[in-house]
Amino acid sequence: MTFRLLTLTTLTAAGIATGIATGIAGSAFAADTVKLGYQLPLTGDTAQYGQDFRKAAEIALTEFNAAGKPFKVEIVFEDSRSDAKEGTNIARKFVDDKEIVGVLGDFTSGVSMAAAQVYKDAGMPQLSQTASHPDYTKVSKYQFRNIATQAQEGPYNAKWMATKGFKNVAVIAEQTDWGQSVVSGFSDAVKANGGTVAFSEFFNRGLKDYRSLISKIERAKPDAIYTGFFYEDGAQFLKQLQQLGIKTPVYSTSAAYSPKLIELAGGAAEGVHLTSNFLPTDPSPNVQHFVDEWKKRSEGAVPGQFPAQAYDAVRIMLAAVEKASPNPTREKVRDALAQTKDFPGVTGKTSFSADREAEKELVKVEVKGGAFIPVAD
Amino acid sequence: MNAFETMAPADGLTRRRGLLVPALILLLVFAALPALLAGFDKGYFYQIANLALIFVLLSASMHLVTGVAGLLHLGHAAFYGVGAYTAALLTSKLGLGFTVTLPLSGLVAALVAFLVALPTMRLVSIYFAVATLAIGQMLYLVMLNWVDFTKGPNGIIVSKGFELFGFSLSGRLGAYYTVAAVVTLSVVAIGRLSHSYYGNALRSIREDDQCADAMGVSTVRLKMEAFTLSAFFAGIAGSLWAHMTGYISPGDFKFSESILILAMVVVGGLGSLPGAIIGALLLILLPEGLRALGDFRNIMVGLVMFLSILLLPKGLLGEVSALRLVRRQLGAAWRNTGKGEGIGWR
Repeated sequence: MTFRLLTLTTLTAAGIATGIATGIAGSAFAADTVKLGYQLPLTGDTAQYGQDFRKAAEIALTEFNAAGKPFKVEIVFEDSRSDAKEGTNIARKFVDDKEIVGVLGDFTSGVSMAAAQVYKDAGMPQLSQTASHPDYTKVSKYQFRNIATQAQEGPYNAKWMATKGFKNVAVIAEQTDWGQSVVSGFSDAVKANGGTVAFSEFFNRGLKDYRSLISKIERAKPDAIYTGFFYEDGAQFLKQLQQLGIKTPVYSTSAAYSPKLIELAGGAAEGVHLTSNFLPTDPSPNVQHFVDEWKKRSEGAVPGQFPAQAYDAVRIMLAAVEKASPNPTREKVRDALAQTKDFPGVTGKTSFSADREAEKELVKVEVKGGAFIPVAD
Repeated sequence: MNAFETMAPADGLTRRRGLLVPALILLLVFAALPALLAGFDKGYFYQIANLALIFVLLSASMHLVTGVAGLLHLGHAAFYGVGAYTAALLTSKLGLGFTVTLPLSGLVAALVAFLVALPTMRLVSIYFAVATLAIGQMLYLVMLNWVDFTKGPNGIIVSKGFELFGFSLSGRLGAYYTVAAVVTLSVVAIGRLSHSYYGNALRSIREDDQCADAMGVSTVRLKMEAFTLSAFFAGIAGSLWAHMTGYISPGDFKFSESILILAMVVVGGLGSLPGAIIGALLLILLPEGLRALGDFRNIMVGLVMFLSILLLPKGLLGEVSALRLVRRQLGAAWRNTGKGEGIGWR
């Protein structure tokens, strides 16, 4: 008994001690290496996204370091499990490391916002590839994001649907900060264009049965349905829509743009309209290069919207570091990030506005014959 | 020599020993640790120390219900959330500071707990567990879906750090001392509650609630009091968390947090307050310490938890075996002795 207790305590103590040791020591380090931090969920419920981001970041980093620049960059990946506790711990850890000049991540808005409170006080530039909280970039002048906000995408889609003649629409979205912005960004624009929102409701992420929601939508008799979901929920929704035999056209945001949507929903995804700023079929060389590299590392799978955003976010950060060098500091990297203009990424040209929001070109896409096909309108 | 005389020196010894250990712990928490933290001067270590202390309080407060009174509580994080939201809303809507929000967070959490306890506290064993699960989910969904009031998934930015009557304590050391002082006082209060006649009355519910009832212990009232008190301290912890991170959202208080706190109480040892504290330290410090292992760290944490239950079924310092408690809590549903007990109200 005592022996067991002893073993267990020793094991734990050893674990904690190594952690503290690595925390204190930092790593010995050549002067021509610049360090960046990347906080992302590598385990837990949202690990699939974090793993993709790491893969995308590694592609970008390998290219950068192979390009014969005067310095090398190292990215420290830390697992936040999409948990605000861990996210703030990591933020403190990154801030403590004097060699880290910029941070990427986190994945969810909640964790990004919690970590942003730390980065705000420490003056650390933070660039998230996905944080969509309306107030995220308002936290301080150090928060940037590489994602089209719903304030941009909502009006774009509202206009698209209006030109198709859909005046009376239903809106549903997941009950998250992002879903809230989907509904408000879109509904306001619909009303401004003279249309009406017949029905609007939120559902909790991971919902399995959409039938009651669908029948409520159908009772409102909309011309079209606008949806704010990610591919997992989207596939469920589309399948159940098909099972109920409903033919009302469905429009969605770039968040649903993933090959997995078609993979999971199958034929039910046919005819779905959505926006995107990344097309793996785009013949331009940098997109094809990214798609090839991605396929090599993922057994031939095609990258979706989020990995592309992460890839661009990392490259924007690397470009800012290069611009801020020699001897980049956090402040210099922040200023360089703020000056990003027409960055030629795989998600189109990206510029940061004065309030550090990414301004992106959007592309209209329709699912036809089991593939995403760009359409003119 | 009668028994009384032989007892006397031993009693004196335990009394002296009983003072020595708390004195050492106080010295560690208020002198040695802050000195070390200031020495390293790393925000990361301060952060972890504060987080560990907050979870010590959460674990200690759950200890009152689950450890001492032996009631499986699956919704503790919700009261932590109620406290955090109280603090955040009072700060963002009324501009109140930590001095005011701290006690109010505890009181609001206790009030909510009291109200939901009224109809549920007559339940026993697995039914009690399911009721607390439902309460936790219900409160979580209120935080998530009552968008007009709680801002729903958008969460709330808490713009004010720690302060005492307007005197700012938001520096690193100030924040640490604030958290440490609040947690220490609360843990002492919980310690006094659980090591007293009152605590023994709660233990009688754990050991045999029917027998306790027959002896004149008002089990329903005691359960309600324990539940409300534990929510009070969870609310206090919530206020600390809100002012420490500066941003809260419903995701911080979901079911998995309740389970994390429950795991702390169980690994540390059911019924033992030091056990609950050590459990909390273990489950906060270990995942951070194992960061170097990358993707494997959660497996390691799981392994330590698994081994600790396997090798030490009473937890590190437990009074009762976790397995026995769970068996009794959950077993009632399918055990049939032919004597009319089993499924239903006991």
